[in-house]
Amino acid sequence: MEPLLRLEQINKSYSLGSEQVQVLFDISLTVNRGDFIAIQGPSGSGKSTLMNIIGCMDTADSGRYFLSGEAVHEATDARMTRLRNQYIGFIFQKYQLVPKYDVLQNVIMPLLIRGVPRKDAIEIASEKLRLLGMRDRMHHKPSELSGGQQQRVSIARALVGDPAILLADEPTGALDSRTGQDVLKLFQELNDMGNTILMITHDPTVGQKAKQIVRIIDGRLYTRQDTLPVSPS
Amino acid sequence: MALQEILNLVWINIKGNKSKVLLTSLGIIVGAATIVIVIAIGLGGQKDVQEQFKNLNAGTVTIADNSGSSSGGMGRMPSFSGGMPSGGGSRSGGGRSSGMPSFSGGSMPSFGSGGFPAFPGMMGGVQQIKKTTFTEEDVEELTWFIPNIETITLLINGSGDVEGGILEEELSTTVVGATSEYVDISNLGLLTGDFFTEAENEDLERVAVLGYDTAVSIFENVYDAYGSQININSKKYTVIGVLTETGSTVSDITLDSAIFVPYNSAVKYVVGQNASPKIVAVVEDVNEIETTILNIETLLTEMYPNGSFSVANAGSQVAASQKSADTMSILLIAVASVVFVVGGIGIMNVLFVSVKERTREIGILKALGSSRKDILLQFLLEANFISIFGGIVGVMAGYLLMPVVRLSGMSVVASTSASVVALLFAIVTGTLFGFYPAWQAACLKPIDALNHE
Repeated sequence: MEPLLRLEQINKSYSLGSEQVQVLFDISLTVNRGDFIAIQGPSGSGKSTLMNIIGCMDTADSGRYFLSGEAVHEATDARMTRLRNQYIGFIFQKYQLVPKYDVLQNVIMPLLIRGVPRKDAIEIASEKLRLLGMRDRMHHKPSELSGGQQQRVSIARALVGDPAILLADEPTGALDSRTGQDVLKLFQELNDMGNTILMITHDPTVGQKAKQIVRIIDGRLYTRQDTLPVSPS
Repeated sequence: MALQEILNLVWINIKGNKSKVLLTSLGIIVGAATIVIVIAIGLGGQKDVQEQFKNLNAGTVTIADNSGSSSGGMGRMPSFSGGMPSGGGSRSGGGRSSGMPSFSGGSMPSFGSGGFPAFPGMMGGVQQIKKTTFTEEDVEELTWFIPNIETITLLINGSGDVEGGILEEELSTTVVGATSEYVDISNLGLLTGDFFTEAENEDLERVAVLGYDTAVSIFENVYDAYGSQININSKKYTVIGVLTETGSTVSDITLDSAIFVPYNSAVKYVVGQNASPKIVAVVEDVNEIETTILNIETLLTEMYPNGSFSVANAGSQVAASQKSADTMSILLIAVASVVFVVGGIGIMNVLFVSVKERTREIGILKALGSSRKDILLQFLLEANFISIFGGIVGVMAGYLLMPVVRLSGMSVVASTSASVVALLFAIVTGTLFGFYPAWQAACLKPIDALNHE
């Protein structure tokens, strides 16, 4: 079966002044439907860059990237915009909710952008908000919610478009440890329901909640689980 | 994304920023109000011109002696007399017609024969120009030799002191000596009574026809005037008629505030023999008026080789007034446009700040898959909303201000087209100046925008 997501020999460098700094070296990664993978690495290891490339928000310098059969490495800017809307559910460390919109408006945005009529969008969004226990907060502004609640809203927003993959960037980074645990438990439940999740974290305890851990160090990916240290210092 | 949903987002943003929207639209409000008022003033000016010349027959030609009359007119426009601009040309009757160009003839004495000093006007010496007093004979001469003349008559005006009616002190007013033809030339209508007849003129009768305002000043009730006696320069006259109110000026005479007496009576009792009369003629075919004027000039030059005359064409007076009213409108619209540009720059500034402030929001929308078009449209529609709002409020403000402008004495005419123009200007300004910031927002990179603090 064709994997959901396949990265082949991805390289990426940035120019820092006159210097060219390479952040990703020959990254290859395959994600199948139903996977729950944590990409774990220290800050500066290139994981955010990798996340941006997987999330169709940045392009690689070389290499190939297929998402649901689409050749992302050949896609135009407009095509990438559509791919983001169609296939990817983003969950950000800082939630990234629009402060002026209420919870419902935030959650239905991906559907509205897709062109789904408002009525249908609200129906789907209500369902997702109910799943995350946020339905009674539908008409609150994000600023009226706690961090954990805001992250639940952002998860609802990620789920609403029925994406191929949930892409979580340090989803517990801004939360206290108990709320963080709740969110991770939620991820496991979502994964059990059949959602594919790719999570990026610097925290090994967070990574361990995933089914599979991939380490990234200095822009190189290490996928063999048996070589991973249990608790890196 | 559906337009309706984009509009909804625009609305959410505007609702959250009411005071900013109001401040931003101020420039547009002022601009739209200015346009509405400016067009109203422009139309008012045109209406004034039409009112003023309402009684003027387009085929009217006024011939006046031009010697030593440099104090006449305001000299605002050149009057071509003897091939040379001079300040004079038309004697101001107190109306707006002062300062209109009058293309006077009397040019080129060389038409006659070679020996005359060329271009007397250029010498600038009053001594060389002989004062001419037009007479009945001149009128007959013109009637005889010039084709295309329908009516021609002598006209003289001076000022007289009037007593009578309810007046407590003497009233100084314009006294016009005219013949019975004058009624037709100036399209006069009579409210009560009749204009004087040719017989009354020949018999030097002391009868008077009052302009409307004069009648009101002397008698308060114009219907009391008919048959009453008034004194002009201490001579008794019987009022035999009152003109209808016109508000117009014909041959430099403001009809409403004048008194009309028979020509011969005026010469004898009011203005004296030394006053210089004018000849007023109406041509049969207005299209031939230029030729007729040339013929008159040539004939007069032969008759009075040392004279200087102005031959003014009514049509060109109207056209000139119209033109000056138009120029005024264009000038005012230019001012309004500047106001709009300033308002537009205001919109642009606020939108730039807005794009900066909302960079994260734009980043989120782009990450979720909003296209460039959606973002561009959202900001552009926001600019449009502000400008349409400003436009509507501005048009209303313009209408509210009109009575105030009217108080200053200017004529203003409200018009729907002015409102439409103001609204269009507002929308165009909003779109033009909103585009660049909106484009900037649309071109933001999602990762950069998301990480913006």
